[in-house]
Amino acid sequence: MKYLLINQWKGLFRNRLFMILFSVFTITLLLTTYLGIIQNETQIAAQQEAQEHIREQWDEMNHGNPHQSAHFGSYAFKPSTVLNSIDEGINSVTGNVIRLEGHRQNDVMFSEASQSLLVSKFGKLKPSLLLQFIIPLFLIFLSFSSYTQERDTGRLKLLIIQGASLKQVIFSKIISIWLIGLFLLLVTTLIQLVFNMNQLDVDTFLRLILLLLSYSIYYLVLINITILLSLLLRSSTAALSLTIVIWVLWVVFLPKMIGNTVEKIEPLPTRVAFQKQMDIDRSQGIDGHNPSDQRQEELLKKTLTQYGVDSIEELPVNFRGILMQADEEYGNSVWDKHFGSLYLQLQKQKNIYQLSGIINPFASLQSLSMGTAGTDMFHHLSFLSQAESYRRELIKELNYKWRDGNWDKAFFKSIKDFEYKLPNFLEFANKYLLDTLFLLLWSCMLLFLTKYSSEKTSIT
Amino acid sequence: MRFSNVFLFEFNHFKRSRSKLITYLIFLFACIYSIYSGFDLQHKQFNTIDNIQLDQKKQVMQVSNFFLNLSIEPDAIDILGYIPTYGIKKPSPLFPLGIGQAEQYGYYKKITTWSSTYDNDMVEELANPERLVNGNIDFSFLVIFLLPILLIIFTYNIRGYEQDARFEKLIAIQCGSIRKWVFIRFLFYLLLLILTVIGFVIAVSIMNNAIIDYMGEISSLILLLSSYIVFFGLIFYLIILKSHGSSTIAFKMMSVWLLFCIIIPGSVHQIASMVYPVHYMTDYLDANRKETYEVFDLPNDSLYFKLLDVYPDLEQTQYAQNNSINQKFVRNAISAIVNDMNKRAISKIEDKNEEKNQFVRASYWFNPVSFIQNKWNSYISTDYYAYRDYRIEIQAILDKKLELLNFEAWNDKTVSKLTYETYLKDLKVSLD
Repeated sequence: MKYLLINQWKGLFRNRLFMILFSVFTITLLLTTYLGIIQNETQIAAQQEAQEHIREQWDEMNHGNPHQSAHFGSYAFKPSTVLNSIDEGINSVTGNVIRLEGHRQNDVMFSEASQSLLVSKFGKLKPSLLLQFIIPLFLIFLSFSSYTQERDTGRLKLLIIQGASLKQVIFSKIISIWLIGLFLLLVTTLIQLVFNMNQLDVDTFLRLILLLLSYSIYYLVLINITILLSLLLRSSTAALSLTIVIWVLWVVFLPKMIGNTVEKIEPLPTRVAFQKQMDIDRSQGIDGHNPSDQRQEELLKKTLTQYGVDSIEELPVNFRGILMQADEEYGNSVWDKHFGSLYLQLQKQKNIYQLSGIINPFASLQSLSMGTAGTDMFHHLSFLSQAESYRRELIKELNYKWRDGNWDKAFFKSIKDFEYKLPNFLEFANKYLLDTLFLLLWSCMLLFLTKYSSEKTSIT
Repeated sequence: MRFSNVFLFEFNHFKRSRSKLITYLIFLFACIYSIYSGFDLQHKQFNTIDNIQLDQKKQVMQVSNFFLNLSIEPDAIDILGYIPTYGIKKPSPLFPLGIGQAEQYGYYKKITTWSSTYDNDMVEELANPERLVNGNIDFSFLVIFLLPILLIIFTYNIRGYEQDARFEKLIAIQCGSIRKWVFIRFLFYLLLLILTVIGFVIAVSIMNNAIIDYMGEISSLILLLSSYIVFFGLIFYLIILKSHGSSTIAFKMMSVWLLFCIIIPGSVHQIASMVYPVHYMTDYLDANRKETYEVFDLPNDSLYFKLLDVYPDLEQTQYAQNNSINQKFVRNAISAIVNDMNKRAISKIEDKNEEKNQFVRASYWFNPVSFIQNKWNSYISTDYYAYRDYRIEIQAILDKKLELLNFEAWNDKTVSKLTYETYLKDLKVSLD
């Protein structure tokens, strides 16, 4: 086996076309990873500048009363993660800014995709594009020709006569080609490590390792299936056609078709219907029997009793602040109901999509790639949830200050900016169990099938 | 051998080749599915628009009926506030042929006096962002990205197979010219694919009664997709002529596909993002927040002069003779001033977007796939510019609304049913 492996490697490195392509891929990966890092840094700088600008406005503004400042509000900017330079996931289609203000939960605005003409349907030339689309195709052709060439030239028979078993030959090919894929993955990882050394923490390192492992398992699946088909189908043409068809189905066709089907199984409301329902609940009370004026009166009575006074004028605090906070809390329950069910639906959609990993390992890889890079929907929802929690705390603080009085410029300056904390990957790990399981299942199943087929196939 | 025979032989070979036939049928199925998805999305958009217009109609009827019981005409300022105003972008009848960038933008917007074309509700419909990343199986995607792969599957073993089996010379003896023999065989698949997609384009146009009204767009689309298929066909034909062996041919063809469909557009996209990073629209955020609040804090006389900057003709109105602002008109005056500030900030955003678009367009000579995509989307009104025009239309309605609110009020106008109907027309309220 060891000699077969060495022999296989020698053969590959003697091939001029292979060497050219291998060098091109290595250089391209180096370049795209580096450019990805630069682009990410440019983005982070632009975002920091915008954030500082908004903060400056807050500090310099003439705050009338705290509730006025609640209307003035703030903005939460969605930050780029370090690994965004490998896989930007959903970041180009979701917006990157949310207005945080009193009385309403807003949505993210200004997606990159809406700011220009359509350029690429498959995304930017980031390492993920190379690792998911281009390198796999290179590995497919390498795997396909490595076996069929041996068979068509009769070299396979020679190897078997010399004492090697077909199983050994097949697995030496799988391992040698897989190592090439692994090398390219390591190049990407190393560049990330070198250029992001100062931002590297345990979590990022773990994410990077898991990203590398996910891709390496996927490459094993891909190489295995290609060699298995070349082994099973006598005609090289049919084997290549089928492998390409499978690749197209996995990478291009199924993700789109399953995505569409999932949206049919678990449909989302239209924005107008969603808004209308929230407006109704906001105006009529969440149970439909609690109009706002009645609530206001109830609150006044409760407050007067609490402070032991008879009229609003006798209150030692500003009732408007109490009222605004109560209104805010009522609004929050409406947002929780509607945005909560929307986010739940989105998560259900994602879970159904993850199930497609059973027929499409690419879906599992894509999910793991975005997940480990911190650029998938779960991370996006975490950003939205953190931004909303910040908004609620901010408005509460402002309303309570309005209630208690005694505010000054120092108070407004003391209010902290929103800071997004990227969730620790281990907290999210259970969300990717299905993806991991399916990838492992695919690789084990194919390894077993290849082993079985190589034992059963006779070379005559 | 006569060339018509080669053509017929290829037809017979295609019929008998199970793998090619199945691949073709999968493609046909995908086309039907994509068109069905397009129709589905189109119907969904129409339904949403219909519901909005029904609501709008109900509200308009309420106000119209209100006029029947009136003895004195109400003030324009009160009536104009009750006109439900929407900006709506109806999907083109050719929409099932390509969703384009439609899922990146909203297609309806309630226009209030505080609206702007970069409001929260201008963003895309509620959708799963991961699905948006993967995109839709739309017909344009199938033709632009999958059809070249289909062409590869159909043609990579033309001559390659004969070379692998070492009887290419036999073909040369039988046919005389290998080039012509390859050409005729290749032509069969090229024609098959061109006719297939043209068939789908015409079918959708007939189903949506667009053949006559959209003749220009349909013929341009047919010309565009035929040229695109021929472009790939030509490259693949040259690869067949210049290469040896089916696996080498397949490898080269796939590399060309990767280059044109993924690598070049991806590189342009990446470079465009570096040159023009996602902008956070701070000018707009400023206008929308800080500057708006500053306007709110202005005394009435300053507001008056600011409003005159926006509407110089307002000086001729009845109330303007007092050189001050009537307290009743303050809110509309502020929204007109804010709208003017928003417009200035938005024009900067649009200029930045245009710079990026120019950068993308400059790449078209080596990036034909992006050119084809955007051209295709423009025929179907789902490209960036179709939605920019929609934003312009919304802005025009908003401007008209604010102008009416200010001028009619400052001229102390009252409203009859007839005037009300004129307002509806001015504000493009559809009552069909």
